[in-house]
Amino acid sequence: MIEYVGENLLAGQVGEFLIALSFVSSLLAFAFYFRSSAISDQVDSWKRFGRFFFRLHSAALLGLIGILFYLIYTHAFEYYYVWRHSSTQLPTRYILSCFWEGQEGSTMLWAFWNVVLGNILIFSSKKWEGVVMTVFASVQAFLGAMLLGIYPFDIQIGSNPFVLLREHPDMINLPFTTNPNYLNFVEGNGLNPLLQNYWMTIHPPTVFFGFASTLIPFAYAIGGLWKRNYQGWIRPALPWTFFGIGILGLGVLMGGAWAYEALSFGGFWAWDPVENSSLVPWLILVAAGHLMLINRKKMRSMFSAFALTLFAFLLVIYSTYLTKSGILGETSVHSFADGLPGQLIIFMLFYLATALYFLFARGWQFLKKSEEDAFWSREFWIFLGSLVLVISAFQITLSTSIPVINELFGTAMAPPAKPIEHYNSWQLPLAVLVTLFIAVSQFLKYKQTPVKKLFKQLAPSLILSLLGTVGFTYLLQVDKFFVNLLLFSSLFAVLANLDYFFRMLKGRVKKGGSALAHIGFGMVILGSVLSAGNQKIISKNNTQININFEDNENANNENVMLLKGDTVLMNPYYVTYTQRRNEDKFVYYDMDYLKVNAQGKYEKQFSLSPYVQLNEQMGNVPEPSTKHFWNRDIFTHITYADLENLDSNSQERYGEPDTLKLAIGDSLFTSNSIVQLMDFERNLNNDSLQLQENDLSLGVTIRAKTMDGRRFTATPIMVIRGNRVFGIEDEIEELGIRFTFNGIDPDTEKLNILIEEKNKNSGDFVIMQAIVFPYINVLWIGIIVMVLGTLVAVWNRIKQKSKPKN
Amino acid sequence: MKKTHILAILVIAVAIGAIISMVSDAATYADFATAEQMVGKEMQVVGQLNKEKEIDYNPQADANSFSFFMVDNQGTERKVIFKGAKPQDFERSEQVVVTGSVEDGQFYADKILMKCPSKYNDGRPDELTEITAESNS
Repeated sequence: MIEYVGENLLAGQVGEFLIALSFVSSLLAFAFYFRSSAISDQVDSWKRFGRFFFRLHSAALLGLIGILFYLIYTHAFEYYYVWRHSSTQLPTRYILSCFWEGQEGSTMLWAFWNVVLGNILIFSSKKWEGVVMTVFASVQAFLGAMLLGIYPFDIQIGSNPFVLLREHPDMINLPFTTNPNYLNFVEGNGLNPLLQNYWMTIHPPTVFFGFASTLIPFAYAIGGLWKRNYQGWIRPALPWTFFGIGILGLGVLMGGAWAYEALSFGGFWAWDPVENSSLVPWLILVAAGHLMLINRKKMRSMFSAFALTLFAFLLVIYSTYLTKSGILGETSVHSFADGLPGQLIIFMLFYLATALYFLFARGWQFLKKSEEDAFWSREFWIFLGSLVLVISAFQITLSTSIPVINELFGTAMAPPAKPIEHYNSWQLPLAVLVTLFIAVSQFLKYKQTPVKKLFKQLAPSLILSLLGTVGFTYLLQVDKFFVNLLLFSSLFAVLANLDYFFRMLKGRVKKGGSALAHIGFGMVILGSVLSAGNQKIISKNNTQININFEDNENANNENVMLLKGDTVLMNPYYVTYTQRRNEDKFVYYDMDYLKVNAQGKYEKQFSLSPYVQLNEQMGNVPEPSTKHFWNRDIFTHITYADLENLDSNSQERYGEPDTLKLAIGDSLFTSNSIVQLMDFERNLNNDSLQLQENDLSLGVTIRAKTMDGRRFTATPIMVIRGNRVFGIEDEIEELGIRFTFNGIDPDTEKLNILIEEKNKNSGDFVIMQAIVFPYINVLWIGIIVMVLGTLVAVWNRIKQKSKPKN
Repeated sequence: MKKTHILAILVIAVAIGAIISMVSDAATYADFATAEQMVGKEMQVVGQLNKEKEIDYNPQADANSFSFFMVDNQGTERKVIFKGAKPQDFERSEQVVVTGSVEDGQFYADKILMKCPSKYNDGRPDELTEITAESNS
């Protein structure tokens, strides 16, 4: 038995106990709530027990989270999870990212939000408490099981975040596991450098909050079907649905903001599988919320309302499966998979079966007796809009699921080679439809709208958006049909809703939540079209001749090489790479953006410092730097940089010598000067050179002239001692160049000259890319307006709900 | 015909369209031999970088041209040409996935995805960093 020094084993033991407690109490909460709901809606003793156990579960889970945070905070590397996801070097502000980076932590984050929402529902759901909390407790049991880390019959159930480092399967038999003092030298593995960004501390919690909030409408819908209260569930579920839409929408778009700020693919949306799988539940939730709106008064499309509400949550589980099971493997940049795929599949199938059972046993009747809505009615257009959202979600899910399809059908398809083109070819036209519906449907009335009046009301915004489209098309020289069309339709959506907000609602914010949310959504689409659809790469390769691809017209020239001190035209700027700065693990490349002023002189406009984050374990990560103007962004990132010889010692070292045969008068270029062999230098004093008396010495004067006109000379000397020939080098320190003269070719009479340059002369270049994103601020403002508008609508609805109905 | 029916037919048609477009836009996992038989078709080839042979990237001459030799999982070696900057740390890659097509015996990649082993895991294959480089030609 080895006595390990410095381990904090108590915390882990308490943690493991709390895992068990939270799992068992969620099961008990489920059992009691289930029993209670089966009997009545009243608060009976079953229900009281249910509450007690859900609260016990909540307390255990909070304790669990607290302990893991404490262990990460105290760098308790005796725990595998802490070792795996953090290090002592990591700034404290990333502690949250360390927490959820692993599968166990993100499961806890999800369960945490369910606990928050569940405890609110215990108070607010009144007669629905029994059914809603039955669903919540059951989900908590599934999530809790993912933390168990037990192995009955050799099957792994869950993975425990409190496994010790020295007992982890990966570490078995490694020498440190038998060293009692191993904690003295063990250092954490650290956090993925991509996640060391402030967006990454708030984006995942927001997405998980959104994910968790899809469970509320799901639980109410199950309750409605279970209790055969087919319409009553909508009223309490509606504010929560739109709350979820707001939060999840914010979370998804924050992911885009992170991608734009921290990743260097140049944009905020790349149809990456992980992005897609968080977008799809949002689309379905939006569709579900709108169908709930039209079914709350009159049952029109009740089956669809149920189906979409249920599927929003099912898609959340599917999304978790896609990103956590590792099935995306090669297709995604960021699936941090540790993989408990089987358990997630059971989790998903359980709720799929439950949903399908209720949907078909109870909901089927609504499909048969559906009534037709009038064409010019608000409900019909809202239905159409939801349908388009469903199609959009279907297409995204289908193409993102290629690895799953391969798994199921044994096919060997690879994800689309050009994902952006593939998804855009579908999503652009669908977005045109959605934005058109958004523009029109605010002015539509329920049941029937007089068509003439409708068009009269729409006319001003229609005309303005046509003019606006022409303006933008001219300004940005848009030449793609669908980009033009979407430009028009999204502008129309924004203006029509603005018009509605100010003319019909007289600008009353309280009533205008929906109009504002739609304005925001229109702006998000408009901003995307303006910025991504019209992005311009200004780092075009203007000077170099592309030898390899001369006959290829599509040759990619989006990257430019910049030597230190060089100034290169990137229309409308001239860009100078001024210096490289090493700060800790970051290497910054300072770029000055210049313009030529009236006097013909360069004038600095601004500087950007794209950088590379050095990370030995996980690879170096380039990160962009962006200059924000009100109407455009200049986005710059390093595509390639020589990251060897970064430290100042090796910078000062000389690189490989060039051996040249030169005659007097010859000249050549070095990296920072023009060098010319001027003349022989015969008047050398052997004594001062510390040479022997009989040595023959001959010097050669070399003049170096820099680009800015400074002159330097060097005189390397050749010495003949007996039958041995050697050179005495001479250095021009200012230029980091040294010369050796060590022979003369007797036939050609050419001189044998060695030229060496310091590493800092040659190594200092970068390959960079610069992109202009016009009007990207429309997108960011749109996000804020959309989320605020949605929350205003939710608030208004809650206040209406609490008022007694007349 | 009722509006609902028209809508239903439209939705089914669009759904079928989405499936067809998924299948036709999907790249195919293949080896170099297969890619050569399907000239011009987008293929995705998985293999390893041949570290013995020249990795050619000369940004002074052309920052957007990069080539290397790759051995696919069947052991066939081909030169891969990429019209973009060399991905950072490319030499460290353990596995390379290239997407593109074969022309004149050379593989023209428009996307490179590489996986680097992580030092702390003795290069276990499940512990990989993925890096993509994309040329937007």
